[in-house]
Amino acid sequence: MTKNNNIDTTRRNFLKLTGLGGAALCLGFYFPAEGAPILVRPSELSESEIELCPWIIINPSGKITIVNHRAEMGQGSYHSVPQIVAEELEVDMNDINVIFAIGNEKKYGGQVTGGSSTIRSSYKNLLKLSAASRELLIAAAAAKWNVPVVDCYAASGHVIHKPSGKKAHYGELALAASKLPVPKEPKLKKISEYKLIRKPLKRIDTPFKTNGALIFGLDKRIPGMLFASVERDPRYFGKVKSFDATAALKVPGVKKVFKVEMAYYEYIREGVAVVADSTWAALEGRKALKVEWDSSGFKHWSTPEIFKAQDDLLHSQEGMILKTQGIPNEILAQSTKKLDVVYQTPYQSHVAMEPINCIAHFKGDSIEIWGPIQAPGWIQDDISKQFKIDKEKVIVNMTFLGGGFGRKAMIDYPSEAVGVSKIIGGPVQVVWTREDDATLGPFRPGISYRCEGMITNGKIEALKFRMAGQNNDHWRGGAKDKPNRSTSEGFLNPYYASIKHLSIADVLFETTIPTSFWRSVYASTNGFAYESFIDEMAHEAGKDPLDFRREHLQEERCQKVIDKMEEVSGWKNRAKNEGYGVAITECFNSTVGHIVKVSKNPQGGVKIDKVWAVMDCGWYVNPDIIHAQVEGSIVMGLGAATTHQITFKDNVVEQHNFYDYPLPRINEIPMIEVYIIDNEADAGGVGEPGLPPLAPALTNAIFDLTGKRIRKLPFSLATV
Amino acid sequence: MIAVILVSTIALAFTVSIHHRITEKEYIGITPIKKDSAASVAAFKQVYKVLMSPRCLNCHPKGDIPLQGDNNVVHSMQPKRGKDGKGIYAMKCANCHQAENSPGLHTPPGNPEWHLPPADMKMVFEGKTAHELAKQLVNPELNGHKDLQKLIAHADDGLVKAGWNPGKGRTVPPLTHAQFKKAWITWLQTGAYAPAK
Amino acid sequence: MIQLTVNGKTEKLDVSPEMPLLWAIRDTIGLTGTKFGCGVAQCGACVVHLDGEAVRSCVTKMSRAEGKNVVTIEGLSENNDHPAQKAWQEIDVPQCGYCHSGQIMSAAVLLRENPNPSDQDIDNAMAGNICRCGTYPRIRKAIHLASEMQEKSKT
Repeated sequence: MTKNNNIDTTRRNFLKLTGLGGAALCLGFYFPAEGAPILVRPSELSESEIELCPWIIINPSGKITIVNHRAEMGQGSYHSVPQIVAEELEVDMNDINVIFAIGNEKKYGGQVTGGSSTIRSSYKNLLKLSAASRELLIAAAAAKWNVPVVDCYAASGHVIHKPSGKKAHYGELALAASKLPVPKEPKLKKISEYKLIRKPLKRIDTPFKTNGALIFGLDKRIPGMLFASVERDPRYFGKVKSFDATAALKVPGVKKVFKVEMAYYEYIREGVAVVADSTWAALEGRKALKVEWDSSGFKHWSTPEIFKAQDDLLHSQEGMILKTQGIPNEILAQSTKKLDVVYQTPYQSHVAMEPINCIAHFKGDSIEIWGPIQAPGWIQDDISKQFKIDKEKVIVNMTFLGGGFGRKAMIDYPSEAVGVSKIIGGPVQVVWTREDDATLGPFRPGISYRCEGMITNGKIEALKFRMAGQNNDHWRGGAKDKPNRSTSEGFLNPYYASIKHLSIADVLFETTIPTSFWRSVYASTNGFAYESFIDEMAHEAGKDPLDFRREHLQEERCQKVIDKMEEVSGWKNRAKNEGYGVAITECFNSTVGHIVKVSKNPQGGVKIDKVWAVMDCGWYVNPDIIHAQVEGSIVMGLGAATTHQITFKDNVVEQHNFYDYPLPRINEIPMIEVYIIDNEADAGGVGEPGLPPLAPALTNAIFDLTGKRIRKLPFSLATV
Repeated sequence: MIAVILVSTIALAFTVSIHHRITEKEYIGITPIKKDSAASVAAFKQVYKVLMSPRCLNCHPKGDIPLQGDNNVVHSMQPKRGKDGKGIYAMKCANCHQAENSPGLHTPPGNPEWHLPPADMKMVFEGKTAHELAKQLVNPELNGHKDLQKLIAHADDGLVKAGWNPGKGRTVPPLTHAQFKKAWITWLQTGAYAPAK
Repeated sequence: MIQLTVNGKTEKLDVSPEMPLLWAIRDTIGLTGTKFGCGVAQCGACVVHLDGEAVRSCVTKMSRAEGKNVVTIEGLSENNDHPAQKAWQEIDVPQCGYCHSGQIMSAAVLLRENPNPSDQDIDNAMAGNICRCGTYPRIRKAIHLASEMQEKSKT
């Protein structure tokens, strides 16, 4: 495996993404008038427009543009960020224009769209900036009319002088407002005063998603742009031994075939690019291309070997402690009746509907990139180092994303596109096929969990968890000799208070298969292990699983979620031929509970009749978007639990496309009901926390119905 | 001379059979050019192997969803037969299955006539024993109202022949088309005897 | 030269008869509403109407489309107001939105052939269209609503 010498990742704190997003809270509260660094203006803007603050741009005509600094991949930032700004700025959602920021973390703070962080890391600043902007506009109007500020108010993009009824639109006031001193403590509305926030407003991007007008990365066109398709080593890190481009070059439209490199953090992946004048010509050229790979020098893994190795580690090593309290080892050692089982979760691919793609234009002294991108700042950092161009001259434009799920937070595909552009000397769009997208990684790592526990007097006395699975941060230079927080995201947190003796440890396990974030990251698998095992403990204690959780989850938040789930699902009144399962997980500062109801399928196996989900994400913006995210999380969680997995043979993925990596379809989806707990606590994440409870709630329901405990994902509902 | 008369009688019998139920004895008895139960049964055993191969079986399913693959699994995305056997709504066979095979592995195989048997004449192969299938094949009420001529001609039907050009990565039936056709005609012309099981 | 009609406009394209209709629509004509999702007729992101049928343009060659009438998502209605489009907006169906050109084109055929579809009819018509964001519950809801809207617009 070739090391990438241009990139030094060791200094970086990659925990920003999967952690609490705390780093993003330092997002600047500044205005251009105070000398804030406006490095590059979004290209859509003309010079006459006033950038009142990084998120608010006002045209002299009165047209308001709100900047979305994060990626829009379905989770709704394109609507939610403006919904926050519009509230305190006092503009109508129908009257605004929304644009994406270019990558510029000095200006916008963290832009990595991951860890369900967009709202929770920026809403307080957005409220304050918008309210300050409103106060500036009011002050400008008051000065213009020579009236007291207190006699003026803002509404629908205008300032109105109450006594006289005089009115000016923001466009008339913006220039003057931009020269006034910025109020440091603008007056913020109370939640009860909100007109937009907490209302289920219709998404402003929806109409463009029903008529084909919306431009995703793959739809973006740059004058003179060529298209490329790249053949890459199916074992990820092999070298091009030789290639024969003769036939490929004969395909009409194919212009050039050459070797190209793709930086994957600390490593280099090689490929052979076919550049053509259309996507189809590039794809046809690639089919005609012959490449011989040298995939020697690194271990090739197969799936059974991976899980066997993990199992061995879990039975021979203690691992690095992530969390410990009390004396779980001693307690468990004395027990004659402890449970000791292993849970197993598979590797998964992201397969966003829009396959990976990226446009790059290497211009000599600058680089411009367009694409479906979750992490513009990371791309700037890495491309800048790799191609030795100042970071400010690496311009990263985010298009809409046709799904991301963590895959599009990687820096590999832009790096490769820049490499291709540099060689051809012009703009190029590198298009990944579905097969490339599904099989070339990085993947959600497959993880095994050894769970030990014992019950005393109907309550959990001691719990001990060990996990063995690849650590995503190791690909990015994370230390291997100490544990890191990313793997323990959402691991058992709400149970800490009630369990005297517990420990969670991470046993180092590495392969040569690239892994990375996949929606809800480690929480997506951690939840399955511990919420299934808690269910086993409840059974061992002879307690109702919901009551058992009520006894052990003491936080008020959890209690409310449990009460709500019980109320809406009819848990207590279930019939004999119905299986009910519950799971509650906490990640990215939100608590979510699912109850799944199953019954015997007359055609064999089990069918899911209904899923009830209750989310507490604290302060929130748009309840309808929350509903949508939880519905989608349930569907995605269902697929990962029951219909698809990635397996390897000699480091090569055995699946290819949707025919052997089948996603759930409309005919396989249960009824879903979502409830939001009203809570004014600090905002938590929304895009991911709805996923982890589904798998354990489902398998717990199957246990309730059939007595069969499922400890390995995925499983088939048809053959349970 | 006798044979010729017999054939024409059969043809008549098959034609009228749409309206008049024919007993098993009648149509098995009247088909042969030269009755030979041993040769007929032997030929059908060959025929049966082909008909039960994925290329034939997959589009003659028990239910209203075709099967797919060499392992006869229910077609992904579960397209429904529809009245005419050509699918329904946005899920008509020809929406994916082109006039010819699509290039590459795991792409839809194609034929201009791609369809299932229609809803009123399902011609189910799946789960049928050789005996059951043989009887079904010569019963005009279950075989799409085919007489002997039409049955013989069916060996050269475009969609039947497509079984031997199944697209990349799919196995062909265990006999060549020529061998199948020979066995098929032999079976029919020696009396269309059904194997005992 | 291959001639066909796309959204009411005659197009003469100098492309190979082997070229999938998808790439002619996207790269040659420049209508990017029709999406590339899988390339093997599995996901439905590329569905367009070919003489009214919801064909998958990723496996439909130009030779088949020759002389035919193609309608893409951009041409489904003048003002984004086909009942399916209106219902999709009303229910706020899309998340990322990538698959919904294909979803709506499939739903439009269903609504034409069965103006009052049951849940089972919706499954039968829509199981060919994958949505990774999991908007299926809303697709179902929107098709029922579109059916009502379609009915009302007639009276």
